[in-house]
Amino acid sequence: MIALHGVTKRFGQRLAVDNLSLTVPRGGIFGLLGHNGAGKSTSIGMLLGQVAPDAGEVYIAGVDVVADRRKALARVGAIFEAPAFYDYLTGWRNLRLFCEYSAPFDAERGREVVKLVGLEKRIGDRVGTYSHGMRSRLALAQALMPRPELLILDEPSEGLDPEGIHEMRNLILRLNKEWELTILFSSHLLTEVQQLCSELAVMREGKLLFVGDWRELDADRHWVRVQVDRQAEAERGLCAAGLVEHFEYDGRGRLRANVAVPQVASWLVAQGFAVRAIHPIERTLEDFYLETIHVRDAAKK
Amino acid sequence: MFATQLKNELLKLFARKRTHIGFGAFLVVQVLILAMLQLPKAKRAFANMLTNNGYLPEEYYAGLTLGLLIIVFTISLLGGLYVALVSGDVVAKEVEDGTMRMILSRPISRLRLLTVKWLACAIYTFTLITFLGATSLLAGTIYRHGLGKLFVFVPQESMFSVFDSQEGLWRYCRAVLILGVVTQIITALAFMFSCYKMKPAAATILTLSVLFVDFVLRNIPYFASFQKYFISYHTACWVRTYADIVPWWSISESLVYLTALGATFWIAGAMAFCARDFKS
Repeated sequence: MIALHGVTKRFGQRLAVDNLSLTVPRGGIFGLLGHNGAGKSTSIGMLLGQVAPDAGEVYIAGVDVVADRRKALARVGAIFEAPAFYDYLTGWRNLRLFCEYSAPFDAERGREVVKLVGLEKRIGDRVGTYSHGMRSRLALAQALMPRPELLILDEPSEGLDPEGIHEMRNLILRLNKEWELTILFSSHLLTEVQQLCSELAVMREGKLLFVGDWRELDADRHWVRVQVDRQAEAERGLCAAGLVEHFEYDGRGRLRANVAVPQVASWLVAQGFAVRAIHPIERTLEDFYLETIHVRDAAKK
Repeated sequence: MFATQLKNELLKLFARKRTHIGFGAFLVVQVLILAMLQLPKAKRAFANMLTNNGYLPEEYYAGLTLGLLIIVFTISLLGGLYVALVSGDVVAKEVEDGTMRMILSRPISRLRLLTVKWLACAIYTFTLITFLGATSLLAGTIYRHGLGKLFVFVPQESMFSVFDSQEGLWRYCRAVLILGVVTQIITALAFMFSCYKMKPAAATILTLSVLFVDFVLRNIPYFASFQKYFISYHTACWVRTYADIVPWWSISESLVYLTALGATFWIAGAMAFCARDFKS
């Protein structure tokens, strides 16, 4: 659905995106993850033809965005950076205005998307009276107006309260499942990406550090939390026995490849430790992300 | 779609309070000028000027003459400011607010977007000037209970003419329409600055600075031989339509000059806009 080949972008002396090559398959929710300033928004800006790449090629549905932006974006809905509207106009008028920049306004479709985002009661009010969450929902409604195949969402949960984040997440999942939209989702909120995305790309300082399904990576390696009577001694022993790679400060231990939790339990019992608790821990995206970043930083040093 | 997009731009423009400030300010200035003309000294100076030239002040101190006086004063004082304020805002404000990013997420060409926006500004400018012309005439007519005859005295343009009511009304309307056309150069200039990466206020201030410098230089005797290169020389062509024998060739020359200059401003602005990256 999306393909970037060797894309580079500089803003003055700052290298915002460095030789980025990325392919986003059709049908899934693809996450673009990275710190602020990692190059996520610049990459999305290039996808939308709002930022011109210095080098490389950008394709949406096989159409070169630089060469034929109108055709490339024909079936794309997007929220790029913070949603902005004409505060002095109603939500409905805003929806109509943005839609009519590219196609005639379909009122029935308008009502459908307004209902989907849950703005039916307030759509006739001026946007100036909307909360941040309502603006985000209106932004999503306008992105859905052109019946897109691809939805590009740049930090859609930014500034939302926990309830708003939850609603937005459910809406995105629904759009992917029921409307079969391919969604490119950028965020620095790890929990959001973890819950939404099937595949992801990690960016840092404009470079791509990882792309793919992070759950499959090191799938044979697990984490375990151990609680025994002589904790420090047990941790050292497990590492020395080659069962655990290392322990974190919070007591979690990363198992070596192909080591399972029962092996750890057997060893502890055999060594005479009084085991109070031992349980496997599912690896989080945060673990993965920090590891990826640290590996990169270590390599840089 | 183009007509719909233009209608939407106009809707956006006229739905904003700032757009109406110009109309309101013009009305206030009209009232102020009429109040000032009530002052005995102003009345006396006006009457003396006509009497010294052999005309009856009562015949000429009426709607048409007052309307023209109001236009000349208002345009000199505020015309450039309000046109520049709206045209300088039209692109730069949308970029600043972030709505430009939202628009450009749609498959619309930047050139088309600019054309629509510029046309909306041009319509606004023309509407503002014709509004000024109509309300000035109305205010003068109500104030003096009639149109009367038209007396034209613009020293900067060496213009001194008198017309009866019918000819005066025709000349007045024609001059206002031409003024609406020549003011488009301010629209084009402010619009061009608005397309560059700058704050809306900066676009307005730059436009006014250019107009001010142009006006000052034009009035320095050293530059007398370069008169025809100054914007203010050509924008004053609307006053020349009041000449007894209208210098159509000179007026056409000015209109062509302003059109070419306006097109240059538009192209320069469009090139800057099309080459820009839109990202906060």
